[in-house]
Amino acid sequence: MNFGYMNKWLKINLTTREIKDFTIPEETLRKYLGGKGIAVYFLWKHGKKLEEKGIDLKELDALSPENMLIFATGPATGTKSPNSGRHHVMALKSPFTGSIGSGNTGGKWGAKLKFTGYDGVIITGKSEKQVYLSIIDGKAELHDAEKIWGKNSVETSEWLRNEHNQSKAGVSCIGPGGENLVPMAVIMNEEHRAAGRTGLGAVMGSKNFKAIIVEGNEKPKIAKPEEFEAKVKEHVEKLKENGVTGQGLPTYGTAVLVNIVNQSGLFPTNNWQKGVDPDAEKISGETLTEKYLIGKNPCWGCVVACGRKTKVDSGKYKIDYTEGPEYESIWALGATTGINDMGAVIKANDNCDIYGIDPISTGSTIAAAMELYEKGKIPDEDIKGLDLKFGNADAVVELSRMTAFREGLGYWIGEGSKKLCEHYGAPDLSMQVKGLEMPAYDPRGAKGIGLNYATANRGGCHVTGYTIAAEILGDVDRFTTEGKAGLTITFQDFTCIVNSAVNCLFLTFALGLDEYAEIIGPVTGWDVTAEELLKTGERITNLERMIINKFGITGKDDTLPKRLLEEKMPEGPSEGQTVDLETMKQEYYKLRGWVDGIPTAEKIKELGLD
Amino acid sequence: MKLYVKVFASLRQKYPDINDFNPLIIDIEKGTKIIDIIELLDFTTDEVHLILLNGIKASIDTSIEGDESILSLFPPIGGG
Repeated sequence: MNFGYMNKWLKINLTTREIKDFTIPEETLRKYLGGKGIAVYFLWKHGKKLEEKGIDLKELDALSPENMLIFATGPATGTKSPNSGRHHVMALKSPFTGSIGSGNTGGKWGAKLKFTGYDGVIITGKSEKQVYLSIIDGKAELHDAEKIWGKNSVETSEWLRNEHNQSKAGVSCIGPGGENLVPMAVIMNEEHRAAGRTGLGAVMGSKNFKAIIVEGNEKPKIAKPEEFEAKVKEHVEKLKENGVTGQGLPTYGTAVLVNIVNQSGLFPTNNWQKGVDPDAEKISGETLTEKYLIGKNPCWGCVVACGRKTKVDSGKYKIDYTEGPEYESIWALGATTGINDMGAVIKANDNCDIYGIDPISTGSTIAAAMELYEKGKIPDEDIKGLDLKFGNADAVVELSRMTAFREGLGYWIGEGSKKLCEHYGAPDLSMQVKGLEMPAYDPRGAKGIGLNYATANRGGCHVTGYTIAAEILGDVDRFTTEGKAGLTITFQDFTCIVNSAVNCLFLTFALGLDEYAEIIGPVTGWDVTAEELLKTGERITNLERMIINKFGITGKDDTLPKRLLEEKMPEGPSEGQTVDLETMKQEYYKLRGWVDGIPTAEKIKELGLD
Repeated sequence: MKLYVKVFASLRQKYPDINDFNPLIIDIEKGTKIIDIIELLDFTTDEVHLILLNGIKASIDTSIEGDESILSLFPPIGGG
């Protein structure tokens, strides 16, 4: 038995309806930890098997039964260590980007899965009929999902909890977005939490797989309980004393970033044409708190509570209860589309949640459509009465619904900005990397985050390596390229540990790798050090890179949109800046032991991946 | 010369009406240090964690040289 783990995984082939349990040897667990790490390991093995069957992974259709979907927890999940209710979801291939599918999500589902007695679930094949899975008190069963197919994420969750008489169960599900195979569909859990990026919901939908409900009473066993409890107490105190985790995030939520990023001149506005939004105050965390906040909704075991319960009192966007929006969705559905009406942003974000699509990619693709329209690239007959001018809130709210149902221009929004802009003959207007829309920090104002966007395996993503913590919220010079390769690598590999533990990235504002070792050690009984964990993180990053290399993704894809490389920031505190990516990238490859975006044989051997 | 001061997040508990649209405007002498402004506003250096002078990171010892500069003050904040 391995401490910290439930020592049981579930594997379901939806084509044959075969359900089986299996265990993972300690050696493999120590090498990949759990969560994202162990999922990457399974995906690599699955890719190898497909190749042995003669399938070229470059040609693999992400919506085919051959794709694999994994829900994974780690040794910290569901323990008393803070903020450990989360889980990680992965697919071998993303239907949205063609790179790997990956998303991390809060809520309680991860902890609840462990309480059923399982560490994770692997789904392959495709069900003939629409089905969902229940794992209650250790028993896994497939059920007919006909009655819930078509229901949104809130309705689905309520129906499943009633049907199974489990009022506190965790529910992961797809909404209409996933059912309709919208490439940017998400998997929702606890109604308003999402494994939000790379189209994991469409993979689930392609398998005719609607939901997983989890509930149980088992608990992971801790190897050294006394040492563990003492460290938990210490860490909770550190989190409460820290200004970010103890005050900033609990009071204002993640949206507290709107003003500082905007004041620093890297808040992408009107599809990244500018870095300052003159109306950002109207969509700030301060405004959200003052006018729309009705309470907080912390994840399971969370001592921070950044989750927002909100409402819009009146007007055409009136809504009695929703959650969020987060900093990222405020930016995507707000600033980059030129919207300064917080009510509209809340409504559009709620649409994304209940219908199950990615708010970052939705907002960012609408912004691309608005710039295409501004430049006369979209003919009027294609937008059928929608006013696509920047700042038109109605268009954003309406398109956030139409996208999930693939109606009209919503079809193209769902395809993402890369395909949208190619379709209308202006590919440079798409603000994405590897097909994934970049989030809310313009790297012309913080160079390290640009290197991270360019090299992140899943595409334009901030939470792969959040250098903003150092460049904007810390003391690192944001404009220099010097030292950014090493900074980015450390952030990326450390984040792999967070996503494999699995707990919350926000812990890292107060806790470092040493504290992670202080938790993983007594939980598992392993004599683990910060150095070993960072090496494990590096191993995970490299194996994930080896997978995407199989899809033909290499150095040529580790890039940024032309606008960021060549167009100087036109105004504000980051005025005149572009991103000198190549210098940072070559240093990054050298430090990584990669050539042209591909790990060398020596590096692969060093990490035990040969 | 004129200085525009903006305060954010929990610093607004003391100045609820000061925001991006409505900065506090004060007359200062060229070369005034940011620490002097922080003290003038009755904040402690522990409360003010991030300082931007015209959008660029500054410290409590930075001198304010330009007329109509914008000083943005933040408590510890983070997100993602």
